[in-house]
Amino acid sequence: MKRYLETGNFAITEGAILAGCRFFAGYPITPATELAEAMSSRLPQEGGIFIQGEDECAALHLCVGAALGGYKAMTATSGPGYILYADPYGWAIGSEIPVVILNSGRVGPVSGITGAPGQGEFYLTRYPTQGGNFETIVLAPNSAQEAMAMTVEAFYLSERFRTPVTVLADQLITDGFEDISVPESDGEMEEMGFRTWPRKINRGPEFYPAMDEIDVPPVVLGHNTGALCSDWTPTEEGYDIEQVQAHHKHAYRLIYKVRNHRSLFNHLYEKNFMDDDPDLVVVSYGTPSRVVNTAVKKARQSGLKVGAVRLINLWPFPDEHFRRKTKYLSVELNWDGQLVREVQRAAPKDSEVHFIGSCGDLPTVTDLIEAFERLLQGQSLARRGWELEEW
Amino acid sequence: MRTEILASGFGGQGVVRLGQILGEAAVKQGYRVTMLKSHGTEMRGGYVRSQLVISKEPIGSPMVENADFFVALSLAAYKAFKHLVTKNGIILYDPAFVVELDNTLPCTQTAIPAKDLAVEKFGRAVFANTIMLGVLAKLVEEFDPKILLESILHIIPKYQEQNEKAFELGCALL
Repeated sequence: MKRYLETGNFAITEGAILAGCRFFAGYPITPATELAEAMSSRLPQEGGIFIQGEDECAALHLCVGAALGGYKAMTATSGPGYILYADPYGWAIGSEIPVVILNSGRVGPVSGITGAPGQGEFYLTRYPTQGGNFETIVLAPNSAQEAMAMTVEAFYLSERFRTPVTVLADQLITDGFEDISVPESDGEMEEMGFRTWPRKINRGPEFYPAMDEIDVPPVVLGHNTGALCSDWTPTEEGYDIEQVQAHHKHAYRLIYKVRNHRSLFNHLYEKNFMDDDPDLVVVSYGTPSRVVNTAVKKARQSGLKVGAVRLINLWPFPDEHFRRKTKYLSVELNWDGQLVREVQRAAPKDSEVHFIGSCGDLPTVTDLIEAFERLLQGQSLARRGWELEEW
Repeated sequence: MRTEILASGFGGQGVVRLGQILGEAAVKQGYRVTMLKSHGTEMRGGYVRSQLVISKEPIGSPMVENADFFVALSLAAYKAFKHLVTKNGIILYDPAFVVELDNTLPCTQTAIPAKDLAVEKFGRAVFANTIMLGVLAKLVEEFDPKILLESILHIIPKYQEQNEKAFELGCALL
């Protein structure tokens, strides 16, 4: 194990290489440019390939093509690039092609602010392409170290489910520096809590491991194989066909291959001070959750009965954490409130669900504790942007 | 126990590099470290900021809200963040840029004329940050000056001789 002071971009690159990624295509964008830079130097050292696409759409198409050729492939971008993935993302979902996508959130809409963090793509990562009839898997780490582990996890899940997986980070994770430990063997990976599996790095048809207990067979393309690389609906025999019955089977499979096997990733969450049915549950993901955890710990010390749920697996949304009737507070890096709407949907009908948004900068521990106190005393959150109904 | 260090100034002054050098030295000394950098608006009159947190324990919030040390390298940065410094904290400001002081602050404020010293002794303002790092090496008890110098020389491979001298100059300033 080696220790560094390095950025999340570095950590994610090393995570991808540990997972066996040997192909990266991307288009530079702050705050994910350094990831492309790191890949451009690391991949050739590992016998891999780096390509700069002419834009993000081309970059993800290149990754999808490389994955079909047997490479473990990855791309990375920020919000303004992520929207350009819509077309190849759809191809990868529909044709069941494993690929890993890193989105480092910055302030939007459009180009917004390059060097400040944002969480504006909560719903975009759920619906990264048109058409519906699919389920998406999204993982959101809250530190550089966890981003490394979740990148490995994303490769595992993308292969296991044969679908693209998005790792949703933010500018503070990818651009910020942190002490990072990089494992140097599978044994060290296991000790450090990384996913390991019999992953092969070399390309070839056996690249996708055929696993038991899941209804997703390994990719074999072509007629009479059940899988087809086409934007049209395929039949089970591997022909493309515009027929409603065939489409029902295809769509059912795209949705339920993920929903029926959520046990593979629904352990990806963190709960703090949740054992005594707290009066206020603070919900967050990504870097804000670190501030939340510190604030909740402090609030507990001063006697406030507050708990925290931090989501790592964002999609499919883990409704099971919100079954209890209580007060909820969603803390997000946007002003419009995105995660909060999903909590409102998942929580029992008469639960109180509140929201604190900040834009471009993290909330402070002081702000959060003040909000906890107000909510526990039955007061509203007076500040601008703190209550959904004020907008 | 956590130690919070904030550095802020214009783009190009080496604010991020300064945080990176301090952070790397802390990692070498076995500390847990987070170092957030914010940038992107400096060209439009904003500031660049490094927020460094050092602790023996895993770090929760990476935000600097109660700064023990604040290196202020521009007036805009000084005005934006001076209120984050704790009563026992220290603001190190460069009087070449911070031309107006707020004397109502409860913390200690110490002028470090790093830019002028760098130009005078080494002919270039670029060495100002190494002087500032020398000051921090002596002030922040978590740092071993020898390891901090190693990190400077590792992260900035150029001008090693000048950087070593600038660091020593900083160490002897206070």
